[in-house]
Amino acid sequence: MDPEAARTARESLDLAFQMSIILDTGLDRHTLSVLIALCDLGLNPEALAAVVKELRTEPSSSPPVLPPPSSFP
Amino acid sequence: MEEEDQQKLTDLVKELILRLLSCKSPNSASQSPSSPHFQASLRYAVRILSSRLAPSVAPDAAAVAESIKRHLAIHGKSSQALTFADLYSKFDSKTGPGSINNKWAVLYLLKIISEDRSLAGNDPNYPSLLPNIECFEAESGDKSRVSREREGGRVGWDKGVLLVSKDPENLRQLAFKEYADLVKEENEVSEELLVRDVLYACQGIDGKYVKYGSIVDGYILSDLVKVPRATRTMVRKLCELGWLFRKVKGYISDSMDRFPGEDVGTVGQAFCAALQDELSEYYKLLAVLESQSMNPIPLVSESASSGNYLTLRRLSVWLAEPLVKMRLMAVLVDKCRVLRGGAMAGAIHLQAQHGDLLVSEFMKRLLTRVCSPLFEMVRSWVLEGELEDIFSEFFIVGQQVKAESLWREGYRLHSGMLPAFISNSLAQRILRTGKSINFLRVCCDDRGWAESAMEAASAAGTTTRRGSLGYGETGALESLINEAAKRIDRHLLDVMYNRYKFKEHCLAIKRYLLLGQGDFVQYLMDIIWPELSEPANTISSFKLAGLLESAIRSSNAQYDDPEILDRLRVKMMPHSAGDRGWDVFSLEYDPRVPLDTIFTESVMVKYLRIFNFLWKLRRVEHALIGAWKAMKPNSITSQAFLKLQRAAKMPLLLTLRKCQVLWNEMNHFLTNLQDYIMFEVLEVSWLNFSHEMEVAKDLDDLLMAHEKYLNSILEKSLLGERSRALHKSLFILFDLILRFRSHADRLYEGINELQTRSGKSSLASRDNKKSGQQRNEGPSKTSSWASDGRKALTQRAGEFLRNMQNDLDSLAKEYTTLLEGFLSQLPVQQHVDLKFLMFRLDFTEFYSRLGVNKC
Repeated sequence: MDPEAARTARESLDLAFQMSIILDTGLDRHTLSVLIALCDLGLNPEALAAVVKELRTEPSSSPPVLPPPSSFP
Repeated sequence: MEEEDQQKLTDLVKELILRLLSCKSPNSASQSPSSPHFQASLRYAVRILSSRLAPSVAPDAAAVAESIKRHLAIHGKSSQALTFADLYSKFDSKTGPGSINNKWAVLYLLKIISEDRSLAGNDPNYPSLLPNIECFEAESGDKSRVSREREGGRVGWDKGVLLVSKDPENLRQLAFKEYADLVKEENEVSEELLVRDVLYACQGIDGKYVKYGSIVDGYILSDLVKVPRATRTMVRKLCELGWLFRKVKGYISDSMDRFPGEDVGTVGQAFCAALQDELSEYYKLLAVLESQSMNPIPLVSESASSGNYLTLRRLSVWLAEPLVKMRLMAVLVDKCRVLRGGAMAGAIHLQAQHGDLLVSEFMKRLLTRVCSPLFEMVRSWVLEGELEDIFSEFFIVGQQVKAESLWREGYRLHSGMLPAFISNSLAQRILRTGKSINFLRVCCDDRGWAESAMEAASAAGTTTRRGSLGYGETGALESLINEAAKRIDRHLLDVMYNRYKFKEHCLAIKRYLLLGQGDFVQYLMDIIWPELSEPANTISSFKLAGLLESAIRSSNAQYDDPEILDRLRVKMMPHSAGDRGWDVFSLEYDPRVPLDTIFTESVMVKYLRIFNFLWKLRRVEHALIGAWKAMKPNSITSQAFLKLQRAAKMPLLLTLRKCQVLWNEMNHFLTNLQDYIMFEVLEVSWLNFSHEMEVAKDLDDLLMAHEKYLNSILEKSLLGERSRALHKSLFILFDLILRFRSHADRLYEGINELQTRSGKSSLASRDNKKSGQQRNEGPSKTSSWASDGRKALTQRAGEFLRNMQNDLDSLAKEYTTLLEGFLSQLPVQQHVDLKFLMFRLDFTEFYSRLGVNKC
């Protein structure tokens, strides 16, 4: 990545982070960067949000028994 | 490439989960990626990710940013909203390598996460009816965390126990909660269902809750259904539309039912058709509303559920205009229930006189359709004379009559069916035009009017096709009718004058029936005199006809048009015993179709009366002239005078003188009367009539002029109603004159006889005279009888003369009295022309002075 691109990326991340602070999402910088990368790859943001929600609010009890994971999109 | 992506994806997901888990419980030991918790979470995450592949909202970054901003602003964080806006604009402007490509996704993600967080922080028990209250939050993020912790502090909502806490936010939330409960309680039925029911009611169908109550005569919400009063009132108001609709629909279906029975006319049908058109517009609106009542408003923010688009209030706004229109239609339906045809059109027209633009536009549309059959009828009547009126809705009615009364009685106006926008004079003109066409077609056998009609139509700018006139174009209608009337009238008069020679026939009637052709009348009188003195039942009309013929041939009348002479005939009136020929004879003129429209039966009767009167006058005049012929000084009388003895001379002289004087008086009277009738009555009236014939514009004018002419003649010649007494005395005078004539005849016959008798003796005496001296006395040798006879003769002569004298005296007296009576009555007459008669008869004031003296 050339410095220009890197700078852009950094700035975009900064902006996104500030927006997320305003919106009070409770995400930290790193998580946010991961999420942004995932969005860029084309995942459904609704699904990601659902994941975030579930994994956040889920208490530390045993997770539900899950069927074997289906293939990724 | 895809493999790489996949790997990256997996890595990233793992990373995410790690961070999330570690973030959640920082002190937890299950941090390694190989922990079962982690694996479980991973599997769970994958499941979620694969289940929702496509977003449900359109990828529009700006829209999302907007909604976020709005969201922030609503909740009182306006400064933050501004900051956010600023950030977003910067964020959005970052393009090129290294920037985020799927900006929308990022924003959306942030939004949802923040909403989820705020949702999690609030009490999940809030009812959905108060969407705005759901998102109520504290002013800043700190407080929201506080509220989250407060969760645990709330006690038993469901049990109905309210905790009064010191937090103001709590109070507000409590109040809202209470209100929500109340609303829920009252509203058994949701607004959506009510709206649907109201929509059904507006089409006349009973809904689940809103039914038609026949007692109340309206659509009402059953009392059992618990709805707040406000809603009930609103539903009631909206259902008025349903009631009006029912009424209008009822009328339409009623008329449709009656139609086969031919009770509803074309105008009624047009009215129903127009109403149905309006109703179909109404249906369209209702269909749109119904479809909208099912769908919620599509909003950008998903979480705010808006309820249904169509609330009762919105419905009332939408239905306001149809309500006005439906009310108008219902009013019209009420008014027109019993009316038909032109009356219906007139009633609707009256309703259309309204200031409101909406109303007048609507009415105009309706009226255009309703009046089109009427206008069609007018057009076909005016241009073709056709009356196609099965349901008797037109304001002109026709009846079957004979050809001769077609003009007067064949058609007339029916003012009940005359709509208000057609004035009376216009209607008269319409009637006359159509009548003329029919008259031409039936009575005159004329086809030329068709061209006139086409000319008229083109001159007026319309065509002779159907449907070219409409309501609101009264100006066009009037111009069409004027043109048509003008042309048809002219054509009719042309036909009358040229083809049927109306003027000539009138003149002929004047000459023959009104005794204008002097020489003919004189000759006729001469040859018919002896015939008519016979009793009526011995006279044969054929003989009289023959006499008429010879009279015509020997006078100037023979040069007349044979067609006219054809029609002149002798008529014998029905006679009773004791009538003389004079009483039953008359001439008649036979007008044929179409002239008998003008010369109807009653008109000919009037002519007959006048003829009789004039004929009698002529007869008396003739008699008097005959007397004069006998009375003129001639040798017989003078010889008789000379021959008679002295004793008889004086009486002879006196008698003769008396006779002369009386004759003079009578002659004076008769001549003046005759002159008056001839010149001042007949000629003057004829002149007036000719003038009016020139200026007559149509047949009606002509008829009126002719009637006026006849009536004036009747009035002036003492045949009218008011002059009955005068008329009687006049006829008595005539009789007297006739008696005088017979007396005079007798007198002169007597003198002649005396003369012839004494002529024999005078012959002898003449011989004696030759010897020198006339000797009255002394019987001659030749005829002792003669001398005897002379004495006897003288005696007889004396007697005779005395008788005559007495008779004449009495006659004279009678005459004078009668004449006085007649003259005294004259000034009392109303008619100004009779004063002229008076003047003529009495211009020396001889009689009035006589009267004065007597008094």
